[in-house]
Amino acid sequence: MAKSDDLALIIDGCKAGSTDNFAQLVDIYAGRIYGYYYRLTGNSELSDELLSELFFKLVGKISSYKGGSFDSWVFKIAANIFNDYLRSKQRRKKLHEARREQLQEQITEPKRSEDERIDKLQIQLAKLNDETRELIMLRFYSQLSLKEIAVIRREPIGTTLSKLHRGIKRLRELME
Amino acid sequence: MNDRNEENLKELFERFVGTEEAQSWVEDFDKVKRILDENPAPQPSQELIAAINSRIAEEIRLRKEHTFRRLAYRLAPVAAVFVVLAAVGVRMMLKESSGTAERVRGPIISASVWESENIAAVDRNLLVLTTELDELEVEFANLQSDEIGGNGSSALTELEIEFAEIDTDIWEG
Repeated sequence: MAKSDDLALIIDGCKAGSTDNFAQLVDIYAGRIYGYYYRLTGNSELSDELLSELFFKLVGKISSYKGGSFDSWVFKIAANIFNDYLRSKQRRKKLHEARREQLQEQITEPKRSEDERIDKLQIQLAKLNDETRELIMLRFYSQLSLKEIAVIRREPIGTTLSKLHRGIKRLRELME
Repeated sequence: MNDRNEENLKELFERFVGTEEAQSWVEDFDKVKRILDENPAPQPSQELIAAINSRIAEEIRLRKEHTFRRLAYRLAPVAAVFVVLAAVGVRMMLKESSGTAERVRGPIISASVWESENIAAVDRNLLVLTTELDELEVEFANLQSDEIGGNGSSALTELEIEFAEIDTDIWEG
């Protein structure tokens, strides 16, 4: 992860419209956010699309970043993009169908190409509800504290903690 | 930044549940973290990263163009007002300078009259005026000598009348 001073310089460059600094921002965040999207959707094409959408939005929104945790700011936008995506009825339907297809294929065809391989974790994650899965992935990929996650979700930290622990316990049981 | 690495989970959990349960929660969190570490998600392809960077560059270019165009549209009316004001100013200055030139070009008595040795040939009116002035000079001299030698008041009145007439002639042109 970039040091906070370096990151501040990169962000300033991005605000000034530097493509080089945006490329650095992509290098820093693309992996984590892609992982976050991939674990939420289980679909690489969809993750590609959502990641592109995120960085496209960042170009327009970067000037509104006024300080504080940049990770928190970025992941809040990432989460909003995913939720917007889910709210789209047609796409949500496609996502559910894709998930069902993936699970079906996993049963009949356990090993696909490396890129398309659906690991055990992805199968178990699909068994959690959307909110719980999103919460666990946000916690793991964003590297934010529980307090920051509660702020992003606009709910008391106790509520976030309770939901997160329930999901984690369930996932642990599924994976063991 | 309130990074999760600096976060004391056990302490946090203990604020909501008992000490024993908090310990169990910490173990659940640690276990799931290990599971996720052992099952890393795929990374974005280099093609995707290149496509994203290209899209960002294009978007920045479009935004800069848009900003410039918007600025130009905002400044255009102001620039137009300045151009109109400048045009009016220049026109007024030219008019003023041409008026001055006219005044310079139009003296009361032309240079030919000043330079001429023979005024009668140049301006007849001026000749008449000069003759009258000469006659007046003579009469004034005569009156002065009469005044010294006797009573010349009636002649002085006539002279004053003649002066008044000449004055009128001069200003009427």
